[in-house]
Amino acid sequence: MPADRAGGPWPTWPAGFASGTADRSAAIVLAALAGLTPRRLLPVANEGHSAEACLALVGEGELGSDEDRRLAGSLDPTELATSLTRCGARFVTCDDPEYPPQLLTIHDPPFAVFLRGGGLPEQAAAVAVVGARRCTDLGRELARGIARGLGLAGIAVVSGAARGIDAAGHEGALGSGTPTVAVLGCGIDVAYPAGSRELLRRILHGGSVVSEYPPGVPARPFRFPARNRIVAGLCRATVVIEGAAGSGSLITGEHALEFGREVYAVPGAVNNPLAEVPLALIRDGAGMIRGPDDLLSDLGLDAALTPPPDLSLAERAALDALVGPTLPEHVARELHVGLADALTLLMALELRGLVRSVGGRFESTIAARAASGPAR
Amino acid sequence: MYGRVIGVSVVGVRGHLVVVEAHIGRGLPSLTLTGLPGAPVQDARDRIRPAVESAGLEWPLRRVVVNLSPGNLRKEGPGLDLPVAIGVLAASAQVPARRLPRYAFAGELSLKGTLVPTPGVLSVAMAASRAGLDGVVVPSANAAEAALVEGLEVVGVPSLAEVVGFFRGAWRPQAPVDAAPSEDGSRHAVDFSEVRGQAQARRALEVAAAGGHNVLLVGSPGAGKTMLARRLATILPALSRQEALEVTQLHSVAGLLEGGALVAERPFRSPHHSVSAAALLGGGSTFLRPGEVSLAHHGVLFLDEMTEFRRDAIEGLRQPLEDGRVIVSRMTGSAEFPARVTLVGAANPCPCGFSGDPSRRCDCLEHRVQAYRQKLSGPLLDRIDLQLAVPRLSKQELLGEGPSEPSVRMRERVEEARERQRRRYAGTDYPCNAQLPGPLARREARITPRARDLLAQAVDRLGLTGRGFDRALKVARTIADLAGDDGVDADHVAEALSYRMSVAEGALARAG
Repeated sequence: MPADRAGGPWPTWPAGFASGTADRSAAIVLAALAGLTPRRLLPVANEGHSAEACLALVGEGELGSDEDRRLAGSLDPTELATSLTRCGARFVTCDDPEYPPQLLTIHDPPFAVFLRGGGLPEQAAAVAVVGARRCTDLGRELARGIARGLGLAGIAVVSGAARGIDAAGHEGALGSGTPTVAVLGCGIDVAYPAGSRELLRRILHGGSVVSEYPPGVPARPFRFPARNRIVAGLCRATVVIEGAAGSGSLITGEHALEFGREVYAVPGAVNNPLAEVPLALIRDGAGMIRGPDDLLSDLGLDAALTPPPDLSLAERAALDALVGPTLPEHVARELHVGLADALTLLMALELRGLVRSVGGRFESTIAARAASGPAR
Repeated sequence: MYGRVIGVSVVGVRGHLVVVEAHIGRGLPSLTLTGLPGAPVQDARDRIRPAVESAGLEWPLRRVVVNLSPGNLRKEGPGLDLPVAIGVLAASAQVPARRLPRYAFAGELSLKGTLVPTPGVLSVAMAASRAGLDGVVVPSANAAEAALVEGLEVVGVPSLAEVVGFFRGAWRPQAPVDAAPSEDGSRHAVDFSEVRGQAQARRALEVAAAGGHNVLLVGSPGAGKTMLARRLATILPALSRQEALEVTQLHSVAGLLEGGALVAERPFRSPHHSVSAAALLGGGSTFLRPGEVSLAHHGVLFLDEMTEFRRDAIEGLRQPLEDGRVIVSRMTGSAEFPARVTLVGAANPCPCGFSGDPSRRCDCLEHRVQAYRQKLSGPLLDRIDLQLAVPRLSKQELLGEGPSEPSVRMRERVEEARERQRRRYAGTDYPCNAQLPGPLARREARITPRARDLLAQAVDRLGLTGRGFDRALKVARTIADLAGDDGVDADHVAEALSYRMSVAEGALARAG
């Protein structure tokens, strides 16, 4: 569709690769061949082969593995199209108007995606919120707050529908009224992890679910890094909240930096294993944000600021005494009160959502930052 | 050729008088036991003749029949050796029969004719006292234990020969050592002053002791859960004499009594998580033994790694936690054991143990953590009023801590709070806040409007359930009692709410 496809430094799909009926039905078979990645198909396409010609090469054994050849011979495009309709998905090729143009500027863009629900947002109106699956309560709160802030500013939150930060991000966005987008690392009709079925159902209520993989493809570890390039590729910015060394959130962040998109990360203490990825990204040039307000102002969006809560002097002092996860007796000592009084104060703050208890210690929530001091 | 003496069979913890009749008649030398003897009593048959002969007495070389009555009671325990032997000696006129009916006999014999220490002697002595007998004849090792029963003559004998000597008037027992009077519980080997840091947990245990609440401690390995639980017994109010007798009786039946003196300290029992239901709750196929929960009667039952206990064992704890007793039913009969305990459970916060620990990374997936926490039985959690997280302290956090308050001071406050409860609940069956049923707790709490608002807020914000509400209310009542306040105010409620760990309600709140 768009004539100019020289968006990024990487090879992309030539216009007309999958535009005609014959090419489309060939493309749907090609998409089902798990072994034939965009990386291997792209050079062939850029030699001037259309999707139909590529499939013919596969049939002749010139392209792809023997397994691909066998599979390509046994697949029927009509049947594939029917199975797509059955799960409510549609097939969107790089020549379709629905194909998000921002994907063509990344390396190894998919020549087609499977899509359920509404259309995909423009690059300027999409931000990825990603992070650790095994996250802390703080991380969950941050993801929820950031996603909610983005949603209220009319920005679609894109994430991977995994557990932990991903799920919290989607949930935060769901409450805001702006649709959210889940990018799957498995078949378009597969709910992975098993517990995400309900989340996906809620996302589809207004939002969309997208995947490179046709129905029935199971989740495999190598598909998640591939999925992450699409998450980063769809968005103008990627926000990373918590991630341990060597985790997928680092890959997503690096993809985004590579694609020339903005990256933001929420820092943590240097000895916190879950802060490794955010801190590494910040060192590599990612923007440091402390919560939704920082992000929205950096993105030039109207921040829907929450009014600072009204606190008594003692409550403010208790809040100020919380430096990281803090034992209640330390708060008591700081305030020169008994332990029972300190617990009473902390509990009152917890009931207002300003403090949370974590394994016998107390820490302030991000909602409390607005309340704790003059500098916000 | 007939003799008749009184023995005692112990069923559960209760002694039942057994009349032992012996008859010597014509026939080939033999000993027959009739009257529903249990296996251990049958076992005694071959032991008694050598014992009698070793003691320099004569075994009648004729047909001996011993009958135990009442015939419908299964006779258990080794304590019937001595009455059977004395019955035979009486029938063969080697012991004067005149004073025999005024004593109850109990004791296990060795082949040498000596009496070995026998379990359940305190129950024997109590049964004898109840039946109005003059005294008991028991192994000298158990004499001090029997002497705990007031107004009973205790004849502690080292061997069978002395029993005969006593009734012939040729031997007198040493005056039984007076049972050591119960010291006021200060002989605990551990003390709260040894605990550094953990102020919230110490405070929570003080509240638990003051209100009789059960406690769940959730924390990483090495946080000090066991150390804290062990010290709870040191701040519980001192045992009354009646309570001490009950504990001693149970320990005596289980054969755990050392030195025979009164158990003056509140027991602390810590069964391993592989414990069977029978070992935890009481039972056994033939002789019904008290379980760990009864051995912890009036003390602390500590279940470390509570998620790892067998489901049937854990579920079986519901009855004792509710009624303060265990009823064990077997084919051979049923027995009741008292079991009023303070339960202290300990568990890791997640399978790897490091969830919520700022210095270690938790490797558990969320649904695994949920599944792990669900292993804690819901109905049992409903009976645990205080559920709190115990953090593993870092070196810096420990270094800042001075010596802690000793147990004695904590116990003084606990006893005052208990006294307030006793006065308030005078005339009811409930000695402390924890045992109050929900509706009564709501009525008795005398809660201020501010406190009520706070609780309502907690229902909204923290996902407090109806049962969680009642638990928080009872704990708040205890906190008010510790403070010496008549009404429950918002401060008390807020503190109580800080002892509801996210094991049950928190997980729900997060999902919501």
